[in-house]
Order: sequence, then structure tokens, then C-alpha cells
Amino acid sequence: MAKKKKTSWIVWLRRLTQTGFFLLFCYLFLQTVYHPINKAGRGVTFFFNLDPLVALNCWLASHAFVGAMLLSLVTLAVTFICGRWFCGWVCPFGTLHNFFTSLRGGRAKQKIETGAYTQWQKAKYYLLVGFLVAALVGVNVVGWLDPFSFFFRSLTTSIYPAINKGLVALFTWIYNANPGVGPVRLTAVTEPIYGFLRKYFLTAEQPYYWGSMLVGVLFITAVVLNFFRARFWCRYVCPLGALLGVVGKNPLVRLKKNEEKCDSCRLCLVNCQGGATPENPLEWKPSECFYCWNCQSDCPAQAISFTCELRLEKKHDEPVVQVDR
Amino acid sequence: MNPLYKWIGDFVHPPKEARLDLGRRAVLAAGLAGVGAKLLFGIDPQASKRSFNPALIRPPGALPEEEFLARCIRCGECMKVCPTNAIHPASLEGGVEGIWTPILNMSVGYCDYECNLCSQVCPTHAIRQIDVPEKKKIKIGLAYIDKNRCLPWAYSKTCIVCEEHCPTPKKAIWFEEAEALNIQGEKLTIKQPRVDPDLCIGCGICETKCPVKGQAAVRVTSVGETRNPENQILLSPDSFAEG
Repeated sequence: MAKKKKTSWIVWLRRLTQTGFFLLFCYLFLQTVYHPINKAGRGVTFFFNLDPLVALNCWLASHAFVGAMLLSLVTLAVTFICGRWFCGWVCPFGTLHNFFTSLRGGRAKQKIETGAYTQWQKAKYYLLVGFLVAALVGVNVVGWLDPFSFFFRSLTTSIYPAINKGLVALFTWIYNANPGVGPVRLTAVTEPIYGFLRKYFLTAEQPYYWGSMLVGVLFITAVVLNFFRARFWCRYVCPLGALLGVVGKNPLVRLKKNEEKCDSCRLCLVNCQGGATPENPLEWKPSECFYCWNCQSDCPAQAISFTCELRLEKKHDEPVVQVDR
Repeated sequence: MNPLYKWIGDFVHPPKEARLDLGRRAVLAAGLAGVGAKLLFGIDPQASKRSFNPALIRPPGALPEEEFLARCIRCGECMKVCPTNAIHPASLEGGVEGIWTPILNMSVGYCDYECNLCSQVCPTHAIRQIDVPEKKKIKIGLAYIDKNRCLPWAYSKTCIVCEEHCPTPKKAIWFEEAEALNIQGEKLTIKQPRVDPDLCIGCGICETKCPVKGQAAVRVTSVGETRNPENQILLSPDSFAEG
């Protein structure tokens, strides 16, 4: 096996983009509060407007369409060309799963084994079909598993209140105990931090929500599952990912592999987030690929690239190996 | 063939490698599950539109229940933005279909008279966009006095907290001055609170502020809500005439 390559610049660009959108999501979350006088933050529904699944489901179920949701057409248009790029680069919930996936340990061999494509990844498409058919007959429950709804609801009712309460308790405890040596006191450091948090992060009053426990436990479960399968939610559950997978099943931007350069080291499989089988372009699954560029970045032989092309001919319709019968 | 046409054509008749291969039977089963959900949700008593859960108090501007459920994506924007922490994710108040939809719980918070933030942030307009003057006219429910718990009614003790907090221009809580006995058997004149169902908008500040804890002596239920002409108490002369 060749030595591990330096992470390519495009992976760093992706991480930067992901971080940006994640922070934007958090910022908009924190902006979803009362502003004087009687104003919510501006554009706080941005991510919901980007979500074609929500737009489609609500339209099917209620025959009504919110104008701002036309923004989701941009998501769809990009997906037509770039596949599930949205999942790998934009979706803040995907970024969260990406982050926790990267925290898991284990050997490369084990990662390849657990990271391989399985039929279970079709589950999300069945969920999608279920939600869409239900919407068609007037039931709109997609919000239970829509990633933005799931994420926002979990933050609102359980994660954020818990963090809020924990931080207040911590800083109050430090304030009361006020440890230190002589005139040097810890509160000299912690109180300015607390002031900053009070101003920009904490709520005026501690929020409490009925039923927050269930929401919180489901959220934590979704996060913990990343340690068993890379981006578990995005692979098996996410109905938005499924919709984008259907729309982006034949994208223009495609994985390409130079067979002559490839020495079959299978390093491209280690960090594949979606189980998209990048080692074999004939079986590469655009509907499962998040366009994270990890395979390209990890390939020591530089055999993998993503190219934008309209394929003129199907080069592999004939069986690769002729077998005499 | 023009490659662009071919690309578009591949969406209609995908080549083998672009197919998702979901299997006809499995897709059909998933679709049937969707229809099954509709059928099962449809036999919840609340779907009959004769039975109403008194705890199913929706935010002001919420569409009629059927349409509301068809639009709400349970995202929690309204719960986050609510400045009084009044909006909570429903458990089974609205049936299984209504899990995590927003309901107001007035034991925690009340609906602020001057606020329409939930209608501002709802991404699907399940809570339609209303301005504050309109919001002030929308009834989300109706308060009622629990005479067995209310201090003036049950204990002949003076208390005017609910009336004090009532935000409507003409107070929806009024007092009937009544002669009552205290525990020593002395006659007292006591102000006993009553609710005017025409004026009460169900904001629930009376319930939140009521000094009787555990279960307030004045509570809000969904009856009388503007969005649902069926969920009413028959008080107007018209209703009697029709009946």
C-alpha cells in the first residue's frame, strides 16, 4: 500500500463549505427569537425553503405552495447536474453526521467492510415513496424524518435547552465557588465568557418542552449510529437524501477512474461516506455518492477524478468478460 | 444523438447502471403503507370532526385542523421563536398524525397578546401569516373557571390575578360580587371571577399566572377556537335558532 496522500484541496473546500452552512444553520437557529419589536430574525426559514422534499410533500398534501419554497428548485437543478452534492456540501444535518463519522476509530479494513453498500440503503427510498404516497392522499408526516425538521426540532426542544441549562449551571457554580490563588481568581476569565454567552448564545429564560426527552433520545441515537455505519442517517433514513438520489441518479458530474493507474489498493473505499463503491466505476452509485471527494483525495495513484461530461456512448453495455457456453 | 438529448432520455429510460433497482413489489408495498397510514389516521375519533381534544390548542393563525396537518412539517420553528415558551411538541393530543405538531401548554407559557412571531416563522404557512391586529381577534380557545379550586369561589379568599392579567381591551374576565361565608361563618362580599366567552381569546395568561399551582383554577381548552366552526359552545342566538 502506498503512503497516505495529503488531503486534496477540494476536500478542504468541502469542509469549509460544510462548516459555513452549518454555522449559518446555527446562526439562523439562534436568530429564531423575539427581536424588538415583535420581529423574528430575518430569513430564519432559509434551509426549509431550500428543501424540495418539504415543498413537494406540502404541495401534494395541501395543494398549496409557499412562494419562498421556489428556492428548492435551485437545489433540484443543482442535483440534476451534480447528484447528491447538497448532502455532502450543504446539508447541516449531513455535516453533523459527517463530523461524528470522522470521529469513529477502527482499522481501514473494518471501515471498508462496514462501509460497503448494502441493500438496506434502499430503505430511504421506500420511506420516501411512503411519505409521497401518503401526501398524495392528504397525509403529510414527512416532517418526522425530514432532516431539517428533525434537526431543528431536536435542537429547539431538547439539545439547546439542555446545553443552555448546563452552561448556566456551570458558570453559576464557578461564580459561587470562585476558585483561585490569592487575588488571581478563575471568575476573572469565566465571567467575561459568561457575559459573551449571555449576549449571543443563551436564552433570556430557560426553556422547557413537554416530550423533549423522546425527541432528544432520537436525535442522540441518530448521532451515535454514525459510529456503527458511516453517515447512518444519510445512507439509510434520510427521505430528502432519497429524493435527491432519485433526481440525481444520472448526473453530469461523474466519478471517473483511470484503470491503468489504479493498483486496486482499495484505499478509496476507506473513507467513502455513502457506500457508493468508487473502486469500480461501472458500479459506482451516483444516488449514494455525497460527492465528498474523499476517494479522489485518498487515492495514492491519482486514478480517481470527478469529471463533468455528457456520455456519448455507454461503453460497458457488453459484458466485460466473454464466457463461452 | 445529441448528448444532451441522450442525458434527458436517460432520465426517462435509464440505462441499467443509472437505475435504482428498488423492485416493483417493494415500492408498491411502501406506497400501500402510505395509503394505510391515511386510513389508520382517518379512524382517529378526532377525524370524525365530532370529537375534539380540549388540550389541542393550536397557535393563533393555525389553519383548520385538516389543512393544518397537511402543511405542518413539525419543524419546531414556532416552538423556538415563541417568547413565552408556550408552544410545545404535541404527544398524542392531535392523534398519531399530530405527533410533534405545535400545541400551546398554558401551564408553562401563554400566548402574548402583542406577538405574532409563530406566524412569521412558519415555513409552510400552516400557521398563516397574520398581523398583530388580526391576531388579537383570533380565539385559540376559551378559559373556564374551576370553582372547586378558585380562591374566591372555593375558599372565599380575595384574588383578582386572572382579571388583572387579562389582556383584551375590555376584560374577558369580570367579577360577580357575591355574598359568601368564610370559615368562621362570617358573611363577606367577595368578587367571584367569571369568563365572558365573547371576549375571551384563550390566550391563557390567566392560567399561567393563576396562583393555584399544579392545576390552575382557570384553564384554557380548545373549545371556541376561531379556526374550527364545529368546536364551539352554542352560545350565539343563531346557533340556537339553527339547532
